[in-house]
Amino acid sequence: MSPILASGELILVFRWLHEKLVSTGLSPLWVELITYTVLAVGMFALLAVIALFLVWWERKISAHIQQRFGPMRVGWHGWYQTIMDAIKLLQKEDVRVDTRDRGVFFWAPVICFVAAFAAYVVIPFGDGLIVADLNIGILYVMAVTTFTIISLLMAGWGSNNKYALLGGMRSAAQVVSYEVPMILSILTVVLFAGSLSMGQIVASQQGHGIFNWFIFRVPFGPLAFITYLITATAESNRTPFDIPEAEQELVAGYNVEYSGMKFAMFFLAEFVNMFTVSAIATTLFLGGWNGPFMPSWIWFLLKTLGVVFILMIFRWTFPRLRVDQLMEFAWKFLVPLTFANLILAAWMKYAKWYW
Amino acid sequence: MGLWKDIKNLFVGMRITSKHLGRRAITIQYPEEKWTMPERSRGIVVLLSDKETGELNCTACMLCMKACPTGAIRIVAPRDEATKKRDLKSFDLDFGLCCFCGLCEEACNFSALKMAAKYEFSTINKDDLTWDVKKLQEIGRDVDYVDTRKKKAEPKPAVKPAVTDTPVATAPAPAAQSEQKGETS
Ligand code: SF4
Ligand code: SF4
Repeated sequence: MSPILASGELILVFRWLHEKLVSTGLSPLWVELITYTVLAVGMFALLAVIALFLVWWERKISAHIQQRFGPMRVGWHGWYQTIMDAIKLLQKEDVRVDTRDRGVFFWAPVICFVAAFAAYVVIPFGDGLIVADLNIGILYVMAVTTFTIISLLMAGWGSNNKYALLGGMRSAAQVVSYEVPMILSILTVVLFAGSLSMGQIVASQQGHGIFNWFIFRVPFGPLAFITYLITATAESNRTPFDIPEAEQELVAGYNVEYSGMKFAMFFLAEFVNMFTVSAIATTLFLGGWNGPFMPSWIWFLLKTLGVVFILMIFRWTFPRLRVDQLMEFAWKFLVPLTFANLILAAWMKYAKWYW
Repeated sequence: MGLWKDIKNLFVGMRITSKHLGRRAITIQYPEEKWTMPERSRGIVVLLSDKETGELNCTACMLCMKACPTGAIRIVAPRDEATKKRDLKSFDLDFGLCCFCGLCEEACNFSALKMAAKYEFSTINKDDLTWDVKKLQEIGRDVDYVDTRKKKAEPKPAVKPAVTDTPVATAPAPAAQSEQKGETS
């Protein structure tokens, strides 16, 4: 049996599919392959819908903060504006610069896209709604999402354009430095959950209403959450840490030379990344899918969209940091802070001063 | 302490943006909703017609053409030597040249020209920006204005009404006042 978890309505469909396939007498390898292909396509569709929704939502929020309407023309309050934009981008000419590095230029958006989507193997969308509950879940997420840096660097290098290269370099430097405090704040949670598996981390936050959520385990919990949120903003290259795509300095950053569907891939990957970091924040700090009365996946989506909303308010409120300030903030402030927090948490765990 | 103040300021900023998020948008959806333009806004130039007869008020004096700094107005009005009057053959206004300065309105002594509160006259053809007398008259039909012309048939009022002023729609009509005076005297 595949490592798909046991409960949840969606899982029943896959169970049924699995049994049907087994009964046709296919070899087990083929059964697994087909089941997971269906699952992958389903996940892809879901995430594409989420990314398109987030693009629309971001435009709406930014518009209303600036007291505009935002997209209003296509559908009710422009609800399928982003679908139309995607169709438009699909039809666009794929402009390629002559001086590009062919292979690198082509693969960069693909890697970015795949890296953004691969993290969803271990994200628990609800009670049992997880593709595979790996025992190294959170480590896997960190490892896979880091591929994004490589793709940005590849995009910058492959475009053979100084703005793109600068954007790629900056982004690599930024993400690598913010990875350190991010992992340190995640470690704080892992220390208490006692496991790297996402399912276990969610399970360890059950009970006591909301007071078992890691965000409410004072003093280390809120601090870890805040540092995680800051680093997550930096990871997803959003304001105030958006120097890789600082429009005023770099035209558009690493994706200047990209057009058409390749550009759309970068764009969608960015929003999928934003959803990823919010989903991880939900899983690690906000009790995952735990919640009363409603189905677990609704709770998960609500909490995640709440975090996304906070990230969006960040973006439309704060000005961008300068490059040197950015590095200073990461290495001189966040790293010592998260380290101190981790040591405090370890000490509390040792002294059993927690619940 | 500086740090706490900075952190506090982050929240102040977020409170302000959140507050704006809840407000109504101040922009409007243009083709469906439109602003009511102020009475005296300088929109397109229209030719006014007499309120009773519907004839053009223009006497073809060409003052507006001379006043126009961009040469947007082109009037053809040959003079009839017998009656010493000009006959308005054509009145073309090129909105591609017009800079909406309002000098033509100020120059006109006969309440024949006004800048109306209308602004929708975009075309996809450059030549369509030149409007002839018919078009200018048609669009000016429903434009309200104060007639400051002296009426020929009536006896002259004791006090001369101001005639050179730009017509202000909200002010009481001097022409109407003079009429009343003419009746009482
Ligand atoms: S508004 Fe100014 S530019 Fe336009 S027609 Fe009148 S005088 Fe000429
Ligand atoms: S100034 Fe007035 S009356 Fe004279 S030509 Fe122009 S519109 Fe006609």
